Amino acid sequence: MARIGVFVCQCGNNIEGTVDTKKVAEEAQKLPGVVYSRNYKFMCSSPGQEMLKEAIKKHRLDGVLVSACSPHMHEKTFRKASDAAGLNPFRCEMANIREQCSWVHHDRTKKTGTVKGNDLTRMAIERLKRNRPLKKINIPVTRRALVIGGGIAGIQAALDIAEGGREVILVEREPSIGGNMARLSETFPTMDCSQCILTPKMVEVELNEKIKLYAYSEVEKVDGYIGNFTVRIRRKAKYVDEDLCTGCGECIEKCPFKAGSEFELGLTSRKVIYTPFPQSVPNIPVIDAPNCPKFQKDKCGACAVVCGPKAIDFKQKDTVVEEKVGAVVVATGYQMMPNERFGEYGYGRFKDVISGMQFERLASSSGPTGGEIRRPSDGKVPETVVFIQCVGSRDEAKGVSYCSKVCCMYTAKHTMLFRHKVKSGQAYVFYMDIRAGGKRYEEFVRKAIEKDGAMYLRGRVSRVYEKDGKVVVCGADTLSNSQVEIEADMVVLATAVVSRKGSDGLARTIGIGSDRHGFYNEYHPKLKPVETVNAGIYLAGACMGPMDIPESVNMGSAAAGKVLGLFSSEEMAREPIVANVNERVCNACWDCVVACPYSAIERFTVKNGQGDVMGMHAKVNEGVCQGCGVCVAACRSKAIDLAGYTDEQVFAAINAF
Amino acid sequence: MMKIPYYPGCTLNTVAKGLDTSARESAAALGFEMEELKGWNCCGAAFPLTPDNLIGLTAPAKVLLNAKKEGGGSVMTLCSVCYNVLKRTNRVLRDDKEKRSIVTGFIEEDYDGSIDVIHYLEVLRDRVGFEKIKEAVKRPLKGIRAGAYYGCMLLRPFKEMGIDDHEAPTIMEGLLRALGCEAVDFPDKAECCGAHLAMTRTDIVERLSGNVMRSAAGRGAELIVTSCPLCQYNLEKSQKKTLEETPGYREVPVVYFTQLLGLALGQDEDTLGLGKNLWDIRPLLKSKGV
Amino acid sequence: MSEHAQYEQTGAFEPKIMAFVCNWCTYAGADLAGTSRLEYRPNVRIIKLPCTGRIDPLFIIKAFENGADGVLVSGCHPGDCHYTTGNYHARRRWIAFKSLMEFTGIDMRRLHFSWVSASEAIKWVDLINGITEEVKILGPFVEYKGLKGEENG
Repeated sequence: MARIGVFVCQCGNNIEGTVDTKKVAEEAQKLPGVVYSRNYKFMCSSPGQEMLKEAIKKHRLDGVLVSACSPHMHEKTFRKASDAAGLNPFRCEMANIREQCSWVHHDRTKKTGTVKGNDLTRMAIERLKRNRPLKKINIPVTRRALVIGGGIAGIQAALDIAEGGREVILVEREPSIGGNMARLSETFPTMDCSQCILTPKMVEVELNEKIKLYAYSEVEKVDGYIGNFTVRIRRKAKYVDEDLCTGCGECIEKCPFKAGSEFELGLTSRKVIYTPFPQSVPNIPVIDAPNCPKFQKDKCGACAVVCGPKAIDFKQKDTVVEEKVGAVVVATGYQMMPNERFGEYGYGRFKDVISGMQFERLASSSGPTGGEIRRPSDGKVPETVVFIQCVGSRDEAKGVSYCSKVCCMYTAKHTMLFRHKVKSGQAYVFYMDIRAGGKRYEEFVRKAIEKDGAMYLRGRVSRVYEKDGKVVVCGADTLSNSQVEIEADMVVLATAVVSRKGSDGLARTIGIGSDRHGFYNEYHPKLKPVETVNAGIYLAGACMGPMDIPESVNMGSAAAGKVLGLFSSEEMAREPIVANVNERVCNACWDCVVACPYSAIERFTVKNGQGDVMGMHAKVNEGVCQGCGVCVAACRSKAIDLAGYTDEQVFAAINAF
Repeated sequence: MMKIPYYPGCTLNTVAKGLDTSARESAAALGFEMEELKGWNCCGAAFPLTPDNLIGLTAPAKVLLNAKKEGGGSVMTLCSVCYNVLKRTNRVLRDDKEKRSIVTGFIEEDYDGSIDVIHYLEVLRDRVGFEKIKEAVKRPLKGIRAGAYYGCMLLRPFKEMGIDDHEAPTIMEGLLRALGCEAVDFPDKAECCGAHLAMTRTDIVERLSGNVMRSAAGRGAELIVTSCPLCQYNLEKSQKKTLEETPGYREVPVVYFTQLLGLALGQDEDTLGLGKNLWDIRPLLKSKGV
Repeated sequence: MSEHAQYEQTGAFEPKIMAFVCNWCTYAGADLAGTSRLEYRPNVRIIKLPCTGRIDPLFIIKAFENGADGVLVSGCHPGDCHYTTGNYHARRRWIAFKSLMEFTGIDMRRLHFSWVSASEAIKWVDLINGITEEVKILGPFVEYKGLKGEENG
């Protein structure tokens, strides 16, 4: 027989006002298994808690019911008190007779409240009787992190985690880290050169002994759960032996073949054996096999001939490595929306219509023109440049519904860069609204307009066409209510920031959510901005949505902070409200596997000592299970139950109704 | 022979007879027959732009209903405006159950939007194929620099019409090249001609159509083709003014694409209705030795 | 069954409503009704579960068997589930389950499914008042009470 103690709280007059707590205590006393019952002024006060502890000891209680406020309020308090008195904290439960009884039924005769208070207490007692003691679950933590993506957000996260003394594996898909930021000429609102502030960080990554960098690699699979992930990484063949290569660049020098440069966005070409840009980290070239005659026709091989350390290896294959980590930071970044979608702006048809990112390269001193603004068609220095904002952003019909956030700022920056480099030049900007929320951002835009003379026209562009070596831009100026036609030498489109192609595929691989635009979902948009629904996986940077550099760095550091917090001890404890499978009853229909929102249930194969397969059953991974109970209701053979909310407990409460 | 149900529309029975006859002749030469709907009425000539003006959908709904009853599964048009009105009405009745039930109340018969509305150009591109047309050409229009003028109705709204890219369409250029012409691209090829303002504000039509013609002539077009009777009318009609106002501008004939198709397929010039056009194309043909 | 006795005294029928609610949205919404000192009909008894996805259809049948005259199932709004998709499971199950309930003779006006978020105290109050009124008009649910007797006997 159970030995239950019942404590009915008056909560001053909060409960006592409409519930006769003495009567509730008396009624409870009559129930089988209840050995002790009383009411008290304030159960949550120190004397109240002490009383509870003493009663547990004195009456050898094996279960405690506190009939008081909402468990959301004080369940933790009373469980802690029970624990201190030697009672398993999960053998302490609450009945909510305040928020859901005394406060909502204002009958001063106490009749209504007492009847309901009795019912709620009785139901909770029956539930409590069938409550099993539960132990907090401890899971080991591998104190090593994986960072996916070597842009500024990923670099920041990796450096911070390494700084905190933990090992980091940084995986970058391209031959070099640096991401989109490496392409930028100068950065708003301070106008410092992007390369100058990024390159030192990239070098730091390379030199930091705690960071293992896998460049030119992709994450293929993430298995496991918080603290215990196994990651499979494909290291694409570079055809250059990393250990032997000294990065001298002789092979690049001598390579006679060229292909379009991805880094320069097609504005110029690169060699077929290449590093994306001179400051690449790691400084190890890769061979672009589809464009290399050695691979296609078995001709050339000049790189292998000139390579001193004999690092060129045409036979190299992709390799797959497996790493064990405890946390993952996803920082895969963004890309620009393909401009081809906007026929009215003539991108792809007219050479002198370029994207904002291409303009960055034209303005960059390491870019194809050495930092001189020259238009792509004939290399002429443009006198008149039209910048079109919101190309794809805030355009549900043809683009995306959201604001890309960075374009107002970088367009203002472009007009300034242009004016600084072409003194007689005139910049025109077609805009919808100027969104310059940020420290020193508004002042920056004002400067572009007032000091550097950019002409801002509020309106949209209807059409762009070529005429006698000019690009004619037709648009509306809604502030002067007129139509304008500008004969420009070059047009720059501020295209929308969109999620990386294939981002939803990666989301599925690692089990996190993404929105309809392909951006990854944070756990809570305000209060848990770097966590994901999959515990142990964190987000940083523009893979979550358009973001500028300061914000990406913030997020990178925030994610690193979360990771270091997780790594603060070798084990982590978690609430034991998890599902468990009765293996003998499970008929392996896998309905639960399909239903589980967390992929926490696996198909487990039972083998005997000889390794023969004896059968299969579902198995809950306690590290991953969040205790929602969807599997319990889905199970046809009633083989799964949820600790703390077992069928038995729920039915007992219903029966006591 | 492939039979395609055909909705001519009012204009093609009257002032734009040439568009109709040349299309029929060419179809026969290309191996399909345009089977005119037995019962048809005016398409309404304008798709109602206010969302609750459902009475404007009844005329086209009746046309579509008849087409369905006659059992073709699709109906083809030549006139850009008819195409626009019918296709958009069809879409409304297919996707919007509430509107459909109201329209049903008006016309006292239910039509579910299940047939396809297609344009002659789509038949040429997708069913016959420009390659095949090229083979069928008997009189290649070599050396003629022709500009394709699309106007608004054939292409827009893009999501509903979807015949081609509405900003940079190429379907008619494809046809022109198959006929041996040199297709001239010009910036204003999908701009408005002034449309119905021909009735009330000829000055605006003259300005807009003039822009189109100057834009085409500026790129060296010697000939304009179009699929819309109203565009054809406006461009032709306003050309006098354009000639007066624009120094150095030389006249450019405006013909239906089907007329050019008929010519290239070796049809009799008389049946193509070329004589009805305001600016004669024949001197140009002669000068090119076609 | 003191409550029933009491209602019998006053003569008016007061229905008993059982509510199965999720811990994160509706339970918190009901708490908010309390902290806001709103008032509603006292006929409801709440059973808290982690998620509406945990609700076994049998719970509902058992509730009716044990004297409930009406049952409410309420959780987070679609898309707001604390467990990402638990409430979608509940919704799908509900669709399949509804016709079964009708088949077993339960008037669907006695069974309600709703979304109440942690901030929707007023919605909760209206919901409980509404259901209580509706079930009151329907009268006591007696069809299953015999079953319980047979089982016990």
